[in-house]
Amino acid sequence: MSDIFPKWTNKLPAMVIVGGLIVGGVVTAGITYYMTPKYARVGYTPVQPVAFSHAIHADQLGLDCRYCHNGVEKSWYSNVPAASTCMNCHNQVLKDDPKLALVRESAATGKPVPWVQIHKTPDFVYFNHAVHVNRGVSCVHCHGPVNKMDEVRHSKSLGMSFCLECHRDPAAKIRPNDQVFNLDWQAPEGFAKSGGAKLVKDWNVHPGESCSVCHR
Amino acid sequence: MKFIPPVCPEPETGPQYFRSPEAMADSAQLQEWAEREFPAGASELTVAESRRDFMKLMSASFMLAGFGLTGCRRPTEHIYPFGKQPEGYLHGVAQHFATAMPTRTGAIPLLAKSSDGRPTKVEPNPLHPDQAGTDQFAQASVLGLYDPDRAQHFRNKGNIAKRVDALDALSQISKRAAANGGRGLAIIAESNSSPTRARLQAAIAAKLPNAVWATYDAVDSTIHTQAASLVTGKQVTPYFKFAGAKRILSLDCDFLGSEDEMYRYTRDFAKGRKIAKPDSAQGFELISRLYTVESLMTLTGFSADHRMRVAPSQVAALAAQLAAEVLKQSGRTSLLNTSTLAASLKVDVTLKNWVAECAKDLVAHKGAALVVAGQGQPLAVHVLAHAMNEVLGAFGKTIELHDAPAAGKPLAAAVGAETVVVLGANPAYTASETWSQIAKSAKTIVHLGSHEDETGKTATWHLPAAHYLESWGDARTSDGTVVAIQPLIAPLFAGLTEAEVLGHLLGNPIANSYSLTRETFAALTAGALDEEKWKKFLHDGLLEGSAAPAVSGSFNWTAAATALGLVTATPAPSKEKLEVIFHRDASVDDGRYTNNGWLQELPDPITKLVWDNAVLISRETATQLGWKNGDVIAISANGRTVEGGIWIQPGMADFTLGLALGYGRKWGRIASFEDKSVGFDAYPLRTGTAGFITGASAKSANRTHPFICTQDHWTLHGRPVVREANVDQFLKKPDFAKHMDLDGHTEFLAKNPDGSIKNIYEHPYKTHPELASKSHQWGMVVDLNACTGCSACVIACQSENNIPIVGKDQVAKGREMHWMRIDRYYAADPRKKETGSILAAFKSNVTGSQGNPDTVNLVERDELQATKRWIDDPQVVTQPMMCQHCENAPCESVCPVNATAHDDEGLNVMAYNRCVGTRYCANNCAWKVRRFNFFDFNKRPIGGGKMADSFFKLDIGLYKGPAGVRPGDEVDIISMARNPDVTVRMRGVMEKCTFCQQRIEGAKISQKVKAGASNDVVVKEGAIQTACQQACPAGAITFGNILDPNSAVSKLKKQDRNYSVLGFLDNKPRTTYLARIRNLNPAMPEGHKQIWTVEEYRSISDPHFMPESKTDGAAKGAK
Repeated sequence: MSDIFPKWTNKLPAMVIVGGLIVGGVVTAGITYYMTPKYARVGYTPVQPVAFSHAIHADQLGLDCRYCHNGVEKSWYSNVPAASTCMNCHNQVLKDDPKLALVRESAATGKPVPWVQIHKTPDFVYFNHAVHVNRGVSCVHCHGPVNKMDEVRHSKSLGMSFCLECHRDPAAKIRPNDQVFNLDWQAPEGFAKSGGAKLVKDWNVHPGESCSVCHR
Repeated sequence: MKFIPPVCPEPETGPQYFRSPEAMADSAQLQEWAEREFPAGASELTVAESRRDFMKLMSASFMLAGFGLTGCRRPTEHIYPFGKQPEGYLHGVAQHFATAMPTRTGAIPLLAKSSDGRPTKVEPNPLHPDQAGTDQFAQASVLGLYDPDRAQHFRNKGNIAKRVDALDALSQISKRAAANGGRGLAIIAESNSSPTRARLQAAIAAKLPNAVWATYDAVDSTIHTQAASLVTGKQVTPYFKFAGAKRILSLDCDFLGSEDEMYRYTRDFAKGRKIAKPDSAQGFELISRLYTVESLMTLTGFSADHRMRVAPSQVAALAAQLAAEVLKQSGRTSLLNTSTLAASLKVDVTLKNWVAECAKDLVAHKGAALVVAGQGQPLAVHVLAHAMNEVLGAFGKTIELHDAPAAGKPLAAAVGAETVVVLGANPAYTASETWSQIAKSAKTIVHLGSHEDETGKTATWHLPAAHYLESWGDARTSDGTVVAIQPLIAPLFAGLTEAEVLGHLLGNPIANSYSLTRETFAALTAGALDEEKWKKFLHDGLLEGSAAPAVSGSFNWTAAATALGLVTATPAPSKEKLEVIFHRDASVDDGRYTNNGWLQELPDPITKLVWDNAVLISRETATQLGWKNGDVIAISANGRTVEGGIWIQPGMADFTLGLALGYGRKWGRIASFEDKSVGFDAYPLRTGTAGFITGASAKSANRTHPFICTQDHWTLHGRPVVREANVDQFLKKPDFAKHMDLDGHTEFLAKNPDGSIKNIYEHPYKTHPELASKSHQWGMVVDLNACTGCSACVIACQSENNIPIVGKDQVAKGREMHWMRIDRYYAADPRKKETGSILAAFKSNVTGSQGNPDTVNLVERDELQATKRWIDDPQVVTQPMMCQHCENAPCESVCPVNATAHDDEGLNVMAYNRCVGTRYCANNCAWKVRRFNFFDFNKRPIGGGKMADSFFKLDIGLYKGPAGVRPGDEVDIISMARNPDVTVRMRGVMEKCTFCQQRIEGAKISQKVKAGASNDVVVKEGAIQTACQQACPAGAITFGNILDPNSAVSKLKKQDRNYSVLGFLDNKPRTTYLARIRNLNPAMPEGHKQIWTVEEYRSISDPHFMPESKTDGAAKGAK
C-alpha cells in the first residue's frame, strides 16, 4: 500500500508540540514582561493642562508637599490642590502669564482644571495615604523623586508585588516621621537593620499582609 | 528595517500617551522620530518599491500598536479639584451630621454619614438619651432619597411647570384665602411632631380661622392620645417605659413591630430581657415576662412568653375579663363594671385560667407592670388597659404622661373645600372613597408629594417634596426632646418642604425652611437668634433639656365607665363572617415605601415573603374553607371586593384574615414590576382608618399566586441551632447551652493535655503563632434574648455594603443577596402530637401517615407542614445569621484560587478580584451565609423588561455583562447611594459578611494616624461598630476585640449561655450566640413546662424521651 501521507508529516506532531511550547513561552514571557504594571505604568508622563513643575515649586522654592496636598495626613486621598491654593502666590507672581490662564479661570469661576491622573490603583484596592505618611513612609518610596520632576512621571510600578515588598519588610523603607516629607533624605549606611528595625519595633509597626488590609 | 513605533497621532500639547522606555531616557534618536510628523516609512511610500513592503511596514506598526506602544493603552483619567477649596472639607473623609427622621408620633434621632458630599448611611445619634438604634425604615430611607421614580418636576395638571410658577400659584391661593379668612381652604396633613409645623399651623389658624386643617394618617396612632386623654381628663399622650416593667400585658399591641415607636420600645424591652449573670436569688424576676393577646402573628408574639390568639373583635371582651380579674384580685371591683363586655366572650376553662393566672402575675408586680393596647384596637380596649394600669400603679412608673397637642379634624372635614392642599399624605390611595368626595368638590388641588403618586396624578399642582435628608426642619422625639433635621445635600430636585409650603400659604413669598426652623428654635430657647446655641443644636442634633415634663393626672373612672358603656359586644367570627385586619406592613409601611427596592426585597420578619403581600390566614380557617397556600381568594365587605393570595400563617387567629397595607400600586419601577403590581391593594376593603373590620366573606377566585418565601422550613427539626431554656432551668444549670448538641458530648474524643479536643489538623494559629495579630482578634456575640427579629440589621448591612437587590424572580431561585438573614423557627406543642414522643410520630409517619394533621413529622415535605395542627400555637425563635468567621473556615480550604483567606485578626476575608466563581466555598459553608453574584445585579435596570420564566424572553439586562448599561436616569442617582468605602461587586464574584471590614480598617488606620511615632496602635474599645450592631434597636449584637479581656464582647463570651451554632463541626466560629432564656409562668395552663425546641431536641437525641405533659410536676430541667 502506498503511503497516504508524505514522509515529512511524521515530524509534524513533534514540530507542533515544540512550536506550540515555544510560541506559548514567548507569548507568556511577552505578556509577563510587557503587560505587568512594572512595564506598563512606569514612565507614564502625560501632558498636563497646566505646565506645573514640581522641581521649581518643591525643590527650588522649598514648598512642603503638604502645602498643596493638604489632605494627605488625614485622608486616604492625597488631594490635588484647589486653584485657590495656587492663587495664594500667583495672584502676584506671574499674575498675567498665559500659562496660568486655566488656573485663574478656575479660581474665579470654580471650573476645575482638568489635571490628568497619573497614579491610580484599581477600584478594588483601597490605599490610604494618611496611615503611610504618619508612620514613616515617605512620598519618595512610591512616587519617586517628585521634587526633581518637571513633569510628574509614574515612577514605580505600584502593583501588588511592589506594595508587598515593603509590607513584608517595613524596616527597609521606614524613616523617622520628621523626614517623611524630606524627599532628599538619604538613609544612613545600614539604617534598615539598625534604625529602621528600631522604628518598626518602637512603633509596633505591623503593616499586615492579609488581603483585608487593602481589599475590601 | 528596525521597527520604530509610530508617533501617536495626538498633537503635542494635548494628552500624550507614553510610548516606550526610550522616551524616559529621552534618547536623541527617539526625539528625532518624535518630532517627525509622519511614521518613518511614510515618506517612503511615495516611492514604494512594492505593495508588499508597504504591507510589511504597516502591519508591523499595527501589530506593535496592539502591544500598546502607541496611544490608547491607558485611557486618560482626570482629577477635578475645586476652584475654591471649601473650608473644613477633606476629600475622602466622611463627615457626619446629626439629623432626624420624622415619624408619625415623633422622630428617630440619627447621625447621617456624608461621603463625598452626599448622604450614604444613617446611624443612630449617640448623643440622644434614647440610645435606641434605628428601624428598617430609617435605614432604607437613604435609598428613598435616590429613588429614580421620585417626583422630579413641578407639575401643573400633569405638565411640567417651572418652580416660580408653582410658587406663584401658592401665593395666589394665599391671597385668596387671606381675603376671606380661609374659607374654602382645606389643608390635609399627616401627623407630625415638628414644633415648626405646630407653630405654622397655629399661625394659619390665627390668620385663616375658617380654613380646615385635617390630620390624616392611613395608619392611625392617635388612639393612644385619645385614650389617655379620656381617662385623665387632660390632653395627654402616654410615654411607655418598658425597661422598668417586669410583667407586660399586650392587648393586640405590636410594640416590637408595627407600633410607631417600635425602635425605642424594642430597646427598652431588650433591657428587661438581657441577663448579665444567672442570679438564682431572683428566680422568675431575672427577666421580664410578656403576655400577649393578639390576632395576627407579630414580632411581639414572637417574644411573648404566653400568647393567646383571638379574633380582633374579641380582644375587647378578653380585655374586659382581664380587667375584671385584675380589679378583683386587687380588691377594687367597684371601680369599673366590665361584666357585660366580659360575658360576651365564650369562655372555656383554659381561657379562664389563663386570664386568672395572668391577672395574678400582674397584680403581684404592682408598680412594675404595664398593660398596652394596640393602635388597631378600638377605644374601649385602651380604656380597659389604662384601667388596669391605674390599678397596677403603672402611671408614673411604667407610663409617663406628656402634654399632647389637640387632635386635628378628620379627613372628611375637607369635603366641600374649594382649594385643597395635601401635604405629604396620599389620600387618593389610602382613603379613596373620602378622597373622591373631596376631589369632586375641590377646584384646585395642590399636592406636595415625594412621588407622583395617586394623589399627585389628580392634583392641579404637584410639588416635589424634599426628602428629610435634604431638608431643614425639626421634630420632637417621643420623650419631647427637640431634634434638628438638617440637610446633607441640597435638594436634588429643588423640592419643597412642608414648612415652606405653609410659609407660602401664610403669604411669605420667600419662606425657606432654614429661617423657619431657626425662628422656631429661637422661640423655644427664649429669645434671641443665638448663634452658639444654634450651632450646638445642630452639632448635637438635639436641644438639651427640652424633654417633656411628666404630667400627673388622676384617673377618671366615670369617663372610663361611660366609654365602656358605649361598646356593644361583637359576636365571634365564623366561616361565613370573617374578620379582616389591616396592618402596617413591615416593608412598605402604609404604602410610602412601595417603591423602595431594599424594603420590598426584605423578607417579611413574620412570613419571610418577599416582593408581595398575602392574605394571612390560620390553618383551621384554610382547612375549613378548603384553601391552601397560594390560592387566590376574593374577599368582600361593604360592597367592595379585594383579591389576594392566601398564606397560611402559624399562630394566626381563626376566621380572621390579615391584609398588609401598601401594595398594589400602578406606578413605579419597583412598586409595579414589569407592569404588574407588586402585591394587591387592601385599602378598598377598609373603612376609614379601622384596624379591622367584621362581617367579611370570602370565596375562591379560582387561580393561584406564586409566593416567594425565603425560609420554607418552619421547624428546627430537633437540631439545637437555637438553644433555649426557661428561667428556672437556666438558673439550675446556667451552662445548659454548652451541653446540647454534639459539642456537649465529647467524652469519646481524644483530648490534648489541656483538655481541648485533639484535631487531625492543628489550628494554624497554634502551628504558626506569628500569623495571628497580637493587637486585635475580632469576635461577635449575638444575644438571642434581645433579638426580636425586626430585620433593621439586614437593611443596615445592605446600605453599608452596597448589596444589590435581585428581584422576585431571582429570590425564587434562592439568589437573594442579603449578607445577613434572620432565621425564624416555629416549635411544636408536644401535646398536639399523635401519641407519645415526637420520635414515635416520626416513625409512624415514615410508614405512611403523612398528612395526618395531628403529627409533627420532622422529615416531611414542607408543603404539608401548613396542614398540621401544631402550627396553630407555636413558640417562635429568631436568629440573625451571617458569616461566622470560623477560625477553621471550611470555605477557605476549598477555594481553588485562594480568593477567600484568613487574615491575621481572625476574619475570613474575600478578595473579590481573585474570585473566579467556582462557588465551592458556598457549597462548603455549613451555615450557608455566602452569596454569589449570579448576574451583574448592580448593572441591571431595576424593574423593566420581561422577567418571565423563559431564559430567552429576558431583556432586562441580566446578560448584558461588562457592556451592559442601566437607563441613564438610574445610573447617576442610584450610584449616589453606594458607599465608596466598599467595592461594588460584579457578576461572578462571591461575597459575604466581612464584619464591616471597611470600618475595622478605618478604625485601625485612624488609630495609627493618631499614634504616629508611638506604639499605641491597638484600637480602643467601642471605636468600631459594625453596621448591624449600630442599627439594631435592641442592642443584640456586640462586636469587638476578644484579645481585650475587658471588652464588652469578651465579657459576653465568658457567659455560660454562650454557644456556637454547629459548634460540633469544630470550626470555631468567631460569631457566637447567647442562648435564649424565656420566662414561662409555671402556673399558667397550656402545659408550658418545657420550651418546645428543647422538647424536639431531646426527643430526637434521646429515644426514650417522653414529653412533659400538663399533669407532670415542676419542670424536670434541661439535660
